[in-house]
Amino acid sequence: MRGTVGKGAVMPNELILNKEHLTGFLRKIAKERELIAPIKNSYGDTLFEVISSVDDVSLDLESRPAMPPKDFFLPPTETLFNYQREGKQYRFEEVLPDVSRVLFGLRSCDLWAILFLDVVFQENFKDRYYLNRRSNTILINIGCHEPMLNCFCKSAKSGPFLTQGYDLQLTDLGDRFFVEVGRPRGRELVDKWDYFFTSATQKDRDEQYEIVLEAESKFGQTVDLDMATSRLINHEVDDALWEELGNRCQGCGGCAYVCPTCYCFNIVDRPVSETQGERVRMHDACTLAGFTRLAGGYNPRQERSRRIRRRFYHKLPFAIEKYHRPSCVGCGRCMEICFGRVDMIHFIKMVCERGKKASQEASLRLGEILVQAGLISREELKVALEKQADTGKPLGIQLIEDGLTTTKEIALALGCQLRIPETAGTEG
Amino acid sequence: MEDRAQTLVRKMVPNIYQPYPVSVHGVKEETGDIKTFTLGFKDQEIQNRFTFRPGQFVLVSVFNCGEAPISICSSPTFSKGLQLSIKKMGLLTGEIHRYTEGDEVGLRGPYGNGFPLEQLCGHDLLFVGGGIGLAPLRSLIQYVLSKRSQFGGVTILYGARTPQDIVFKDDLAAWDKEEDVQVTTTVYRDNPTWKGEVGPVTRLLEKATISPSNTKAIICGHPAIISYVVFDLLKMGFAEEDIITTLERNMKCGVGKCGHCSIGSKFTCMHGPVFTYREIKTFPTGF
Amino acid sequence: MPKVLTTCCFCACGCNLYLQVEAGKVIGVTPSREHPITRGNLCLKGWNSFEFVHHKDRLRYPLIRRRGHLVEADWEKALNLVAQRLAEVKDKYGPQSLGVLSSAKCTNEENYLLMKFARAVLKTNNVDHCARLCHSPSVIGLSNAFGSGAMTNAISELASAEVILVTGSNTTEQHPQIARFIFDALARGAKLIVVDPRRIPLSRFAHIYLQPRLGTDVIWLNGMTKIILEEGLLDDAFIKMRTENFRAFSEMLKNFDLEQVEAISGIPLEDLRMAARVYAGVKRAMIIYSMGITQHISGTDNVQSIANLAMLTGHVEQKYTGVGPLRGQNNVQGACDMGALPGMLSGYQNVADEGIRKKFERVWKTDLPTAPGLTEIDMFHGTGNKKIRAMFVMGENPALSHPDLKATRAALQVLEFMAVSDIFLTETAALADVVLPAASFAEKNGTVTSTERRIQRVRKAVSPIGASRPDWQIICELASRMNYPMAYESPAEIMEEIAMLTPIYGGVYYDRLEQGWGLFWPCPNRDHPGTPFLHKGSFVRGKGRFECTLYRPPAEMPDEAYPFYLTTGRISEHWHTGSMSRRITALSRERPEAFVEINPQDAKRLGVANRKPVRVVSRRGEITVKARLTDDVPEKTVYIPFHFTEAPANILTHGHCDPEAKIPEFKVCAVRLEKVQ
Repeated sequence: MRGTVGKGAVMPNELILNKEHLTGFLRKIAKERELIAPIKNSYGDTLFEVISSVDDVSLDLESRPAMPPKDFFLPPTETLFNYQREGKQYRFEEVLPDVSRVLFGLRSCDLWAILFLDVVFQENFKDRYYLNRRSNTILINIGCHEPMLNCFCKSAKSGPFLTQGYDLQLTDLGDRFFVEVGRPRGRELVDKWDYFFTSATQKDRDEQYEIVLEAESKFGQTVDLDMATSRLINHEVDDALWEELGNRCQGCGGCAYVCPTCYCFNIVDRPVSETQGERVRMHDACTLAGFTRLAGGYNPRQERSRRIRRRFYHKLPFAIEKYHRPSCVGCGRCMEICFGRVDMIHFIKMVCERGKKASQEASLRLGEILVQAGLISREELKVALEKQADTGKPLGIQLIEDGLTTTKEIALALGCQLRIPETAGTEG
Repeated sequence: MEDRAQTLVRKMVPNIYQPYPVSVHGVKEETGDIKTFTLGFKDQEIQNRFTFRPGQFVLVSVFNCGEAPISICSSPTFSKGLQLSIKKMGLLTGEIHRYTEGDEVGLRGPYGNGFPLEQLCGHDLLFVGGGIGLAPLRSLIQYVLSKRSQFGGVTILYGARTPQDIVFKDDLAAWDKEEDVQVTTTVYRDNPTWKGEVGPVTRLLEKATISPSNTKAIICGHPAIISYVVFDLLKMGFAEEDIITTLERNMKCGVGKCGHCSIGSKFTCMHGPVFTYREIKTFPTGF
Repeated sequence: MPKVLTTCCFCACGCNLYLQVEAGKVIGVTPSREHPITRGNLCLKGWNSFEFVHHKDRLRYPLIRRRGHLVEADWEKALNLVAQRLAEVKDKYGPQSLGVLSSAKCTNEENYLLMKFARAVLKTNNVDHCARLCHSPSVIGLSNAFGSGAMTNAISELASAEVILVTGSNTTEQHPQIARFIFDALARGAKLIVVDPRRIPLSRFAHIYLQPRLGTDVIWLNGMTKIILEEGLLDDAFIKMRTENFRAFSEMLKNFDLEQVEAISGIPLEDLRMAARVYAGVKRAMIIYSMGITQHISGTDNVQSIANLAMLTGHVEQKYTGVGPLRGQNNVQGACDMGALPGMLSGYQNVADEGIRKKFERVWKTDLPTAPGLTEIDMFHGTGNKKIRAMFVMGENPALSHPDLKATRAALQVLEFMAVSDIFLTETAALADVVLPAASFAEKNGTVTSTERRIQRVRKAVSPIGASRPDWQIICELASRMNYPMAYESPAEIMEEIAMLTPIYGGVYYDRLEQGWGLFWPCPNRDHPGTPFLHKGSFVRGKGRFECTLYRPPAEMPDEAYPFYLTTGRISEHWHTGSMSRRITALSRERPEAFVEINPQDAKRLGVANRKPVRVVSRRGEITVKARLTDDVPEKTVYIPFHFTEAPANILTHGHCDPEAKIPEFKVCAVRLEKVQ
């Protein structure tokens, strides 16, 4: 134990907060900062809400809120600039909100997701809007002693309890909370209102450890995220699987909207008048065709199956390659909401169940490519090759002149074969 | 309640999404639907800080129309402003086509990796451009010509749909006059006054005298053209890493955040838009 | 960031979502996780439904036409002008010269008030709304058969059905949440039969997919009933105990020749046999249908045939078992319930019934008109278009949604006066003499009724944009200016009146709607819990009635000059005339422009390439749209969605209607295609 309880003293890293003191502690916080916590409303939904008064809300620390907390750092719609035009002058004025918040009662997976977003928005070019909000927000999570039906944070290594990253982490010990102090913000909080806390005893620690152990054994979902990832990296997933997922996806974008780590966004201008407007950023979803379509109509990911494939590759191997962790925290939200079972759990199970199918390496010869693509028959190829010997024209041109194929088809087949992503699937 | 960390963010983290105003200094009509805009900075300090490599792009804001990525078509050695060639495609490009001298647009960048100048040094260069794809190549060609001694022979093959669709006509003529530079232009559909080549740009490849072992090929154009040219270059014996091209993707932020331009585990705006064929081959189709 | 629970403004699934409000603006939505239909997710439209609310194009001030142009005006002037002009036309030509279009996008309270305004103030029964264009055959056909035109079951019951037959409904695209329950059923082992001329996405999951020719529904439905009869798969006891007129019906079937099924509909008889056995072979079977069944000149017969099929096999009157007409608009069910129909007062009470009229007259304190009213189509295309001299249109856009647009727009232009209240300057509003800016769903209180008859709240999240006002207030103001004071303080007060006069809404009060997730009508009194599935114990009309149905070919068939079938419909990313959805970033980006679906074989013959423009010409007009080659449409059939004002499919469609329901045949007309050079 590093300190003793008392005025001006440094609090230890493991504390006890009696449940009867929780409201008082939150009341103090709410006086200084915007307090956000999971609230069960009168309709029965649990949502993260800004709490104006701690007295007339019913805190729900038992279930995971319907939506993740990312909206507080990356709002669904956010004004980046106001812009105006006077005469020929065109000016941008930054809009930077002033916030100081405490997010209380986060699930471990959701807190872990925020740490993931931290990395994304801090690497290379730093995102001023995200960091402005994030730098002044304190994160307090509550370890999950009872995983929900679709939770698999254990497989994603993001819960049910965290070992780092939180400001404070709570464990429900029945009549009291076991409080672990993490980052300095958490320390500031407990130091400031130290009189709510007492030091944890060995008995508390033992009890807490027991709860952690118990929680980890309670998961209903067993999902082998690592195996799925390795299959994806080795391209052992057959096209039929993507095709099937593509058919089942209904294109609602819900998986991206409810995902605590999905951060893709769109930036658009929202005209206000003839002389002014707002530049806003809003949530976007990679499962939409318009996400990648170019102005001229070309779309590298026109087929839904490709967009789905891209999504899962991004969530697992790409994120792991880049950030050394999957951008899936195992919260199970996509599983709850997907229309067509194109969610992470079903996906991983499908991938793990299906066998391995090696990809084919084919020759570069144009004729072969076209035959393989089903654009011409082997017979037609033979005839065209003979003709070509006479005319001296390139084979492609010969085939086009013979009306056997079009330039576009050749381009398409070539694109597929040469793995030039632009030409493959540029329809629509 | 602003605290220390937040103050730090506000002081130290620049706003990567902030465009700065630049004004249109000149507009040149290249074809029926392509115009080249010369832009001048409003702020000397920003101008001084703005350095770029050929092949990089900027995000252009047009009032009430949002932003679009446009590659820079002037050379870094060009001192009279920044030049962008823009084809009329949609809302934003349609609006900027109405702009005249003095009108202001927003700009941020430059973004992207640009062409690998160090690797091009000392080599013969083969440029293959199609349509407006000549724009980013122009930036590099002019740079190369201004540092002539550092590079070998230059071959420029350009294909346009019709003679009316040829961009940078004056530049093409001027380059052709330079020493050790060969320019050939072809059109897909000719007209009675056209005296040059007719046919796809790949046909020019067959006629050009190029030694694949000491040549770097830089291709830019419609994706279908890129496929054809890459296919032919490989047949000619070009090494995969000597074929350099640019990929076009939907871009929103330009700084590797928004996710739109992802390709494989990379972002076109950060790791591209310039890639060698060797790199491109590693991206599975449709990623 | 306050979150206000409300009901989605797009389709009739009735999803509940929270509007996230910040600084007086709606910035996002959160779907309700506990709501039985929403279940934590929305379709792409729902997720983005908030975005049009603050769009720059929202109408912020009333507009009055001066010297041909619409110019800004204040409310006082605009309302006075509307009241004055309506009164003038009424005095000059009589009340029958006035037409009122109500709106399936407005609340129950607003529909009730507008229907009251038409009848009690304008003294005309000429009030109708877009249900005429979607489910009027269901209202008539199912009322004849069962006694009620609504969905017989709750949506969630689909998940426990053993067989689901989907016909004329592109469920995954148009009712995504309902499709979700179909997927649930499939996961539990249910069998899915899809019958649709287009190979809709759901057909990929079907155990049996049948592809009939357009407009041949009576043929295959009667074929299916005959097979069931022949093979003895019918439910004898149910027919005896619960239905009537079976003898006449079976006589009719005797004369029905099964051989003509394949000849006319193109469905192989053996396939139909298989489908019939699957459907008849289980206890819990549901039929889901939508516009593909109703938007035909034989729409009522189509619906009646479906009802016959369900009764023959005893597939009604039970949980998980029934017939579900999927309504389109968020409140098209409610608008019908509220009596925005020429022949009905609220709760389907016949306006011709003197006792009913007396009941309403006592509460409304005025005499009610007895002359039968005109339908929406008759006001424009039929007998009516020379009679109607002035119109009041609330939140409808006939200038894009009606068939044969040239005729529709011409009819609008000869009106002496038209006032439109809407949230955007729609194609119709642009033709009006006065435009009144209305509040959107995020800016007002009220109730809407979903396709499963679930009455739910719409709650105000932000103040009305600019000077706009909720429609119910606009109607009150107008009525008061026409010497009929309407002084309701809130929609809740209007609902009290509705409950008093409308037996099926008798127990609907706002305080009750705060608990649970709405109420299913019929809900006759305060203590009644509502009715998730209808016809329990017996049909609403007493005994279910078999009705003889005869095949009638579509009004316009392909011929040499116009060799293609055209069928129209919607796509999942847009909503009707696009006034809202096309102003939403993600939706307009997803589907920026119109297209025509053409079979690749036809395209080859025409020399048309994918994404290249094609001219589509009918006897009534032509449009140019981009081709979209797909095997989803059979040869000689093309499909165009009707959302796009720059390429309005309804320029091509015709105004021929079902004689009973007066629904136009949007689903079939003849066109030719021309390659655009």
